[in-house]
Amino acid sequence: ETWDMPTPYGDTTFHTQNIRDFADDVKEATGGALEITVHSAGSLFPHAEIKNAVRSRQVPIGEFFLSTLANEDLAFGMDSQPFLATSYEDAAKLWEAQKPAIEKLLGEQGLKPLYTVPWPAQGLYTKKEIKTVEDLNGLRFRAYNAALEEFATLAGAAPVQVEAPDIPQAFSTGQVEAMITSPSTGANSKAWDFLSHYTPINAWVPKNIVVVNSRVFDGLDESVQQAVLDAAAKAEARGLEMSKAETEAKVAELEENGITVYEPSEELVAGLKEIGDKMLENWKSTASDDAKGALDAFQQ
Amino acid sequence: MRRFLDAIYRVSGGIAAALILGICLLISAQILLNLGARILGPGWGGTIPSYADFAGFMLAGASFLALAYTLRMGGHIRVSLLTQKLTGRAALTAEVLCLLIALGVTGTAGWFLVSLVQESVHYGDTSSGIVPIPLWIPQTGVAIGMGLLILALLDTLVETIRTGGPVLPDSAEE
Amino acid sequence: MSDPIVALVLLAVLIGLLALGVWVAIALIVVALVAIVFFSNAPAGLVMATTLWGHSHSWALAALPLFILMGEILLRSRLSQDMFSGIAPWIGRFPGRLLHVNILGCAIFAAVSGSSAATAATIGRMSVPELKERGYPESMILGTLAGSATLGLLIPPSIILIVYGVATEQSIARLFVAGILPGAMLVLLFGLYVAGYAWTRPERIPEEPAHSWGEKFYAARRLIPVGLLIAGVIGSIYTGIASPTDAAALGVVLATILAFASGSFGWKDFMEALMAATKTSCMIAFILVAAAFLSISMGFTGLPRNLAAWIGSLELSQGALLAALTLFFVVLGCFLDGISVVVLTTSIIMPMVQAAGIDPLWFGIYLVIVVEMSQITPPVGFNLFVIQGLTGIDILRVAKAALPFFFLLVLGVVLITLFPGIVTWLPSLMGR
Ligand code: NA
Ligand code: NA
Repeated sequence: ETWDMPTPYGDTTFHTQNIRDFADDVKEATGGALEITVHSAGSLFPHAEIKNAVRSRQVPIGEFFLSTLANEDLAFGMDSQPFLATSYEDAAKLWEAQKPAIEKLLGEQGLKPLYTVPWPAQGLYTKKEIKTVEDLNGLRFRAYNAALEEFATLAGAAPVQVEAPDIPQAFSTGQVEAMITSPSTGANSKAWDFLSHYTPINAWVPKNIVVVNSRVFDGLDESVQQAVLDAAAKAEARGLEMSKAETEAKVAELEENGITVYEPSEELVAGLKEIGDKMLENWKSTASDDAKGALDAFQQ
Repeated sequence: MRRFLDAIYRVSGGIAAALILGICLLISAQILLNLGARILGPGWGGTIPSYADFAGFMLAGASFLALAYTLRMGGHIRVSLLTQKLTGRAALTAEVLCLLIALGVTGTAGWFLVSLVQESVHYGDTSSGIVPIPLWIPQTGVAIGMGLLILALLDTLVETIRTGGPVLPDSAEE
Repeated sequence: MSDPIVALVLLAVLIGLLALGVWVAIALIVVALVAIVFFSNAPAGLVMATTLWGHSHSWALAALPLFILMGEILLRSRLSQDMFSGIAPWIGRFPGRLLHVNILGCAIFAAVSGSSAATAATIGRMSVPELKERGYPESMILGTLAGSATLGLLIPPSIILIVYGVATEQSIARLFVAGILPGAMLVLLFGLYVAGYAWTRPERIPEEPAHSWGEKFYAARRLIPVGLLIAGVIGSIYTGIASPTDAAALGVVLATILAFASGSFGWKDFMEALMAATKTSCMIAFILVAAAFLSISMGFTGLPRNLAAWIGSLELSQGALLAALTLFFVVLGCFLDGISVVVLTTSIIMPMVQAAGIDPLWFGIYLVIVVEMSQITPPVGFNLFVIQGLTGIDILRVAKAALPFFFLLVLGVVLITLFPGIVTWLPSLMGR
């Protein structure tokens, strides 16, 4: 049997490399009984369609950015909630807390989560050093989801919507002056071409998730099912290590290319944390019971 | 009946045109806000929430709702170098065959677009941007547009068989 | 069935349908359905619906109807005639005369728009009727338009460079800068070809009267409105007030204001322009989503992937690899839309290219020029569709007129291969 697997990111992204290893592992463990053909960089379905394509069995398996589903239920967006979980340890704990809710919600759509892999923690990119939250006042700040828009507003910045591919142009022309994203995205888009300062504020640690259609999965031989689950567990562990290595390598790359990398000041961290707490209060008022349950489990 | 059908095509084409104007106005409003922020300071600007999503959905509606109108105006591109040379029965056969193939394709597309809408309604799918827009709304526009194209193709097929030759204007007549 | 036979079957279906007179979009969907139903396990109907929907609402595409509308408005106002009467005295004595307006117009518009279809539609809308009326040969009008409009892809901003940059994690800012000199080189090549044509066949180029300097400057006042329009649109992008997609809306607003101000334009003209733009953009959008579906069906069957992998297995030297890839892209580009070709094959091609020691930045520009060729090769070439939509002239005739420009693009590829500095020099100034 051959599975087509759409993924949103390019071949040089560590997530995609990890998925190719996962596909190799599955092939080897099943003696070729199950082969996965990886279609990277959105070449089969646009990112926004991948989950629904797996749901309706157009493809048996796929990968996507988990918090894009935050509009369906806030439980999906917890890993992109600013300053809730800010380290790999927190992120792992958050995933344990989120997992029952996510499994239930995706299960209602006939989807079974196989594994998640975190992106490096998100840092702050600007054209000057940011010492306190007040320095963000009046800056045009890139926002691409509701949480970031709320964050920008609370920080006194002006949220601007910029699609990812337009980032370099938006910075060069002054359309935006600050953004929060991972060191990977910063290094890969050669951020030094258009901005100068980076600080690892570790705002959040978002994840990619790999899901499989439950009915397709249940139709597999039990030995093949086990092989897929084993390969998934292996991919989850390997992906985490790749992510950690990526963080170091990419921050070093930013620095090598002339970006000023500085540790956030205590005032800045405290100010950001305050905003994060406010946002979490608002979050609680609109969150579903599933999401609140996950938060309680995380905060224990 | 003829006038009724033509009115349907014109109205759906008109709605498509209005959607294109809508995209233009929405983006223009955003540019004004950007300009305001630049001249008067950040407090005067702002972002229209999810305006890129809204523009995209209006585009989908415009593209599909104009399908029938464009067909009847001869706006869809086809290679006519070879079929131009055909006359009488051969020309009629070729045109009927084209229309039947198109009906088969659009019929299939229409059927599955309706099931796409049903699925979006069933699961309550929304867009992932700042404003959660229920996807069934723009998808319904797409499905209706495909339905109107099926209607226009059927209409054209009946007319073609009745008059005994191709009835659509050639895109050359501008 | 083996891959070559599958490919031949699909080709036969496509050519047969097109020859029968089936609409291009419908023909592409039929081929895609045949490919999925017979040569893959995917559920064809569902995939079709997902794709038609998923590719119809992209933000980047939203600029297309707006640019087309801008062209329709300019056509119906006096502005496009004014533009020609303002430029004519200046380049009227140049070999090739006003044909250069097509090339330069497209080059300027390319700095605003990221797509070649929008460039062909907007510039062609104004220039084709005007040049025809002045008696320029049809083949040269169509050829210069089809060829130069492909510059929309190479001169920044560029949709395809964004696609390539995202898929291969190259810096989009650098790719944009890298496209500038090759773009200028192609403008020069096209201009020289037109001059050479005029030199050898002077009788085919209509006379333009001679003008004194005073007359030239006096005529140039007519360029002011269009100059304002171009300055406004480009200025809005480079001051950060508008993204490239936003700029299209500004173009429509400015064109409308200037058209009304010119006095010869009323609400009736505006409505006509709007309906014409609706029709043209619907035609293009329908073909685009159909082409996306064909491209995805190819992803499921694995044909382009296998073909690319086969080229990789030959273990060619750098030069031979580039020659083989060029041939591969040209052949694939005849039948698939150029962006699809890039998306479908980068996974296989990039490792090959990097193993052969080819600079990925250089390769991005090389790819764009090759994709530009695919825009003007039949049967599936978007510039051909747009120009047939504008003029009613059959795509095969347009393709014949564009053939010299196809070869000029090939020459362009040869030049950047021999002198890679044309691509890499400007971005190298950006620091490491
Ligand atoms: Na361009
Ligand atoms: Na082509």
